[in-house]
Amino acid sequence: MTDNIAQLTLEVYIKALFDTDKPAALQVVQNALDRGVTPEKIVFEVIIPGMERMIGGMVSDSLVTLSQHFLAAQIAEEVVDRLLPMFAVVPEIRGHVIIGTSYGDFHGLGKKIVSGCLRARMFEVTDLGINVAPERFVDEAVAVGADVIAISSMMVHTATGERGAKRVRQLLQERGLEEKLRIIVGGAPYRFHDNMFREVGADAWADSAAEAPEVVSRLVQEVRTS
Amino acid sequence: MTGMERLAALMKGRTPDRVPLIVNLLDQGATELGVSLREYYARGDLVAEGQLRLREKYGYDGLLGMFYAGLDAEIMGCHTILYADDGPPNVGHLVIRTPEDILKLQLPDDLHCHPRFHELATCIGILKQESAGRWPVLGVMTASFSLPAMLMGIGAWLDLFLTGDPGLRNLLLEKCSQFCSRQIVALREAGADLVIYANPVASATFIMPQKFRDLALPWVIKDLEGPGATGVVFFNGGGRINPILADLKKNTGIGAYYLNPFDDIAEARQILGHEALIVGAINDIKLINWTPAEIDQEVARIMRVGKQQGGFAFGTQVMPLQIPEENIRALVEAAIKHGRYATDAL
Repeated sequence: MTDNIAQLTLEVYIKALFDTDKPAALQVVQNALDRGVTPEKIVFEVIIPGMERMIGGMVSDSLVTLSQHFLAAQIAEEVVDRLLPMFAVVPEIRGHVIIGTSYGDFHGLGKKIVSGCLRARMFEVTDLGINVAPERFVDEAVAVGADVIAISSMMVHTATGERGAKRVRQLLQERGLEEKLRIIVGGAPYRFHDNMFREVGADAWADSAAEAPEVVSRLVQEVRTS
Repeated sequence: MTGMERLAALMKGRTPDRVPLIVNLLDQGATELGVSLREYYARGDLVAEGQLRLREKYGYDGLLGMFYAGLDAEIMGCHTILYADDGPPNVGHLVIRTPEDILKLQLPDDLHCHPRFHELATCIGILKQESAGRWPVLGVMTASFSLPAMLMGIGAWLDLFLTGDPGLRNLLLEKCSQFCSRQIVALREAGADLVIYANPVASATFIMPQKFRDLALPWVIKDLEGPGATGVVFFNGGGRINPILADLKKNTGIGAYYLNPFDDIAEARQILGHEALIVGAINDIKLINWTPAEIDQEVARIMRVGKQQGGFAFGTQVMPLQIPEENIRALVEAAIKHGRYATDAL
């Protein structure tokens, strides 16, 4: 019975995300809880598939917009935070990610979307905000025992500049941390230029927020098996 | 023909000698003058000098009367602009952090009295004078629907217009729209021949066409209500605009559209019909690493599509400082070569 409810809930939930109607999306979740759907089912069969179908562009042939990405990730993060304490068994955290925008970059939208996707996918995320110095990325990653440093850049000069991912790479080399930490980058310049992530010293990049959890998961595996 | 003659020919539905070429070089002007970006943007006369030298050096068809996008936020009260050595200055202080800040937001009554706009107007005035009618001077502004992203941050702006208090949203947009209308007038007074109206948050990259109709389009109409749409170019600002072109054409009176590199030029022409001026843009981030042969190939492709039905100009987005000089030259050479119309068409 609740399988059907979860499936129906997913369809209505996606419609609300598509319409960027946050109150409707939250109401759908509440209705499912009221009808006895477990928090686990809501997170894994409604919230995450809804977010991934929306952000992965699988909802419609037409363009899925940044506002829909933003809302899908934001709601996913909020609902997962709310429902996690209600899980029968605490889910395993898949890795710890430090995230922020590169130094001199004040565009936080992409980072917020990625952060929401990662949290909903059971990664622990430490968000350092915008305009983050390379030293801070590394210091915080070491302090919290992170596996991956995620650096978002909206502009070419903050993506390729000497105070961005390139400097983070240098610091990892200088401090002998390259085996313990991986760097992932993302943001508009990387979408316009296929090979830029390598040029800035990153281990990987994600073309969209929907791809980020899978790529981060691979990087975490690399770190933990090295 | 001069750039102005090429543009005038297009506006009258005639065919110029070649496709007009808009190359948006900004920070490169400081390099030309050998000064830091901070020094450069402090003075309108320096920016004008940089723009004149860049046009002379590369030979494209317009003069850009713009400093950096964050200047609009500065005029609206942002007190910190952060400079980098290798890229455009950024807004470093958000004017709006609480709902009360929206209530308190003040517009300058006379933009010309604001010291930063005064420098911009000085720059545009010099460009207009030095151009002597040969090259169109382009003023640039941020539309009311996109301006809040620079005043409060894009995340907070999305929160407000998607799920926030509609009264507060409308109050903010009302103030931003008043500012935009005044800015269009002030840019024209300063000497701008065209006003580039940048509206990235209204683009189909940010919001669905239905949201555009419901939330953004009314404010485009309002921004232009007083000053009129003559000489206004709707600029993508980094987002795709083909899905909103039909609504813009039907409701705003705007006659020129500056597409995103990912917008299909032929599709845009089909939507807009023959009368509108279309600017087709190259993905200029690729210019950082492309070879001259690759640049030539891509320019040829864009020109082939754009020239088919006339009313077409070739443009760039905002060219990153990291593009090598030889690639800027290769771009201009390719655009001149592939942009020529057959002589008997003149």
